[in-house]
Amino acid sequence: MGKRVVITGIGVVSPIGIGKNEFWKNLFAGQSGFRDITLFDTKDLKVKIAGEITNFNPKAILGEKGLLDLDRATLLLLSATKLALEDAGLKIDESNTYRTGVSVGTTFGSLHSISKFDRESLTEGPRYVNPIIFPNTVANSPASRISIKFQIKGFNSTISTGMSAALDAIDYANDFICLDKADTIVAGAVEDLSMQTFLGFYKLNYLSGLKNTSAAPLSCPFDNRRNGIIFSEGATTLILQDEEYAKKTGTVVYAEILGIGSCFDPAKFYKYNPKGYGMKKAMKKALKAAGLFPKDIDCVFANANSTKDADYIETKVIKDLFDEYAYKIHVIAVKSALGESFSVSGGFATIAALGALTKGILPPTINYKEKDKNCDLEYMPNKARNKEVSKIMINSFGPNGVCTSLIIGRYKS
Amino acid sequence: MNKRRVVVTGLGVISSIGTGKKIFWDNLILGKSGISKVDAFDTSRHFNHYGGQIRDFEPSNFLEKKKVKLMGRASHFAIAATKLAIKDSDLSFARLNPKKISVLIGTTGGEAQEIEKMDATWVEKGKDAVDRWSIIQYPVSNISSNVAMELKVKGVNRVFTTACAAGNYAIGYGFDLIQLGKADTVIAGGSDAFSYISFTGFSQLSAMAQEECQPFDKNRKGMLVGEGSAILILETLESALSRNAFIYAEILGYGLSCDATHMTNPSVDGIAKCIQNVLAKTGISAEGVDYISAHGTGTKNNDKSECAAIKKVFGEKKVAVSSIKSMLGHCMGAASAIEAASCCLAIVNSVIPPTINYKAPDPECDIDCVPNKARKQKVNIVLNNAFAFGGNNSCLVFKRPNFNDKIQR
Repeated sequence: MGKRVVITGIGVVSPIGIGKNEFWKNLFAGQSGFRDITLFDTKDLKVKIAGEITNFNPKAILGEKGLLDLDRATLLLLSATKLALEDAGLKIDESNTYRTGVSVGTTFGSLHSISKFDRESLTEGPRYVNPIIFPNTVANSPASRISIKFQIKGFNSTISTGMSAALDAIDYANDFICLDKADTIVAGAVEDLSMQTFLGFYKLNYLSGLKNTSAAPLSCPFDNRRNGIIFSEGATTLILQDEEYAKKTGTVVYAEILGIGSCFDPAKFYKYNPKGYGMKKAMKKALKAAGLFPKDIDCVFANANSTKDADYIETKVIKDLFDEYAYKIHVIAVKSALGESFSVSGGFATIAALGALTKGILPPTINYKEKDKNCDLEYMPNKARNKEVSKIMINSFGPNGVCTSLIIGRYKS
Repeated sequence: MNKRRVVVTGLGVISSIGTGKKIFWDNLILGKSGISKVDAFDTSRHFNHYGGQIRDFEPSNFLEKKKVKLMGRASHFAIAATKLAIKDSDLSFARLNPKKISVLIGTTGGEAQEIEKMDATWVEKGKDAVDRWSIIQYPVSNISSNVAMELKVKGVNRVFTTACAAGNYAIGYGFDLIQLGKADTVIAGGSDAFSYISFTGFSQLSAMAQEECQPFDKNRKGMLVGEGSAILILETLESALSRNAFIYAEILGYGLSCDATHMTNPSVDGIAKCIQNVLAKTGISAEGVDYISAHGTGTKNNDKSECAAIKKVFGEKKVAVSSIKSMLGHCMGAASAIEAASCCLAIVNSVIPPTINYKAPDPECDIDCVPNKARKQKVNIVLNNAFAFGGNNSCLVFKRPNFNDKIQR
């Protein structure tokens, strides 16, 4: 009993780089991925920047054929998946396809297509919308295209839990391997930048640069000046495998999944619970599942996204849980460079953590200048540092109440 | 380690043929149709005008008035179905550990009506006019959050958006969570509200019938869109027995598979494989299956492929196969959850609900579809089929419990 689950492939398409090497290099260099939005017109909007992936050329990754009817979210996810499969050196054929599955986290991945289809129908008339684009409006379309493109036949699930969706999809995949339903799972996540999604965060006042319009938008988690998120997009795919199976195939193992915990925190409607009950419980559950104590953790890749309450509550919870040891570990917010990519954010953080684990370098929390007296942990400000780490906690907490923590560790066979 | 056994002890149903499991079941076995002329939105410019719209649902019967306006219709349905299911299960929630109660909801469109409101405003008055309240209500993740907030439960909380099979995915994962010990009680099911987008989409795909959904009939014209929700309360056999709960059915397991061929065309092999796998996994022989609640959408392709797959697995054995979509239309992500509730009720009542609107046999659908009239028959093992967009197949297996001797309801 007790299967072990390992990570054997990494694919990423992000505002700071495509592919794991470019992603890690720029992350360690403290580069950020924010630029003027080109995907839609921002003329009437007060915020004009986002983590848009401007150099994304799906044809370069996926080839010329069969991309015509696919929307941006699908193309991002297919690209990340192709990179991950290549990275793992994984060939899917009749011998392994029924033991291979797909688990994807996304919440707004199809919103652009939904809204486009809907508005076209309202303006042109329902008899004139193109039925070819209708399948794109279904939330499991990006995941389903993975199966079709890469011939993966075991199962195909899509999970939409908001900000924590990437980690929740990994949780689901981990469960499926533990229950011996699959040997290999493609665990992905995707959100694309579209007017529809952007407008949502904009109207809800989540974006930095809205409250204080004299200053440019800034993603500065834990910093006293933080005033909201910068929205971003991307896709991540991890190849998760049953450890025994990975050993047999002789593939390179990046890390092991040691434990995952998830908890729902029934706070007020779209407000984090100030007590951080769910965050704490999720972290505790992950530790318990991993059979670890707080002092075993070397470093936390925080959920912190530069909003006032979220970053403060997370700091407080880490202090509660880790006690005085909280000051001795590094708490890193990669959203300082990557922005808030919502359902994919846990995927970015996990891949960043995999970089730290395999390269022995901790990426920085950039844009950190002004200390907030309530956020007083070691945030690895502005500069990366060489440090060997072996166990990392990754947090994802959404204002809708879902809190998930993942612990990965260096793999020893 | 002995795997924990998982049973269903509560059902809540919101449907176009009635609210609550009793009215739903009574109408279902009477073969009553929930299809009517749609007035949830203007269909005058569509080629189609009928659907399974719910007309008698009043959210304030289940939810404080001030909360009603904070959420969309899919959440209203899900909360109502959950409350009905909990009441039905006789569980006293206050005595349970809230961290071990999980909420898993399947949906296709989520709060699509909220997105539609936003789009309508956008088109009419420009994007600046879009109301922030419509935005905060549309994330699909809201449904399970709203249910959990209303019930104050804190366990694993997930929304599955695996399209038309989402309910089965949610119930199946609930079975997994209990087996893994990650949850003791699971609120699992599906919810979907009537959506202009999916109505338009299916209509434009020419997949929609005019006034009747006629699964397996030679002259079937397509599916009809419906809405609704069903919630199942899952718990361990042990806990159900210890509290003398009425047990509807035991879940023996479930299987998933993916065709990986086409977004909208089902594959015979994919479906057959899914059914074969789940039979093998649960140790049930084809002979042992008494009833299959079909995906049975009423489209040419689906029904033909599903029947061929059933033939492939069951050979000459004529197993009863019926589609309650003939009465409700296709309730999207909620469909398989409502069908799961129907499977449980079929077991308990020893009655198989009919496939209505069946007139002309189709040689390509050579199955026993329980035409037009419910059938009295003992039901020990039931399969619940659901197939989704993208070739995502699922099949859940329910078994008649033999623990109910002393418990009457």
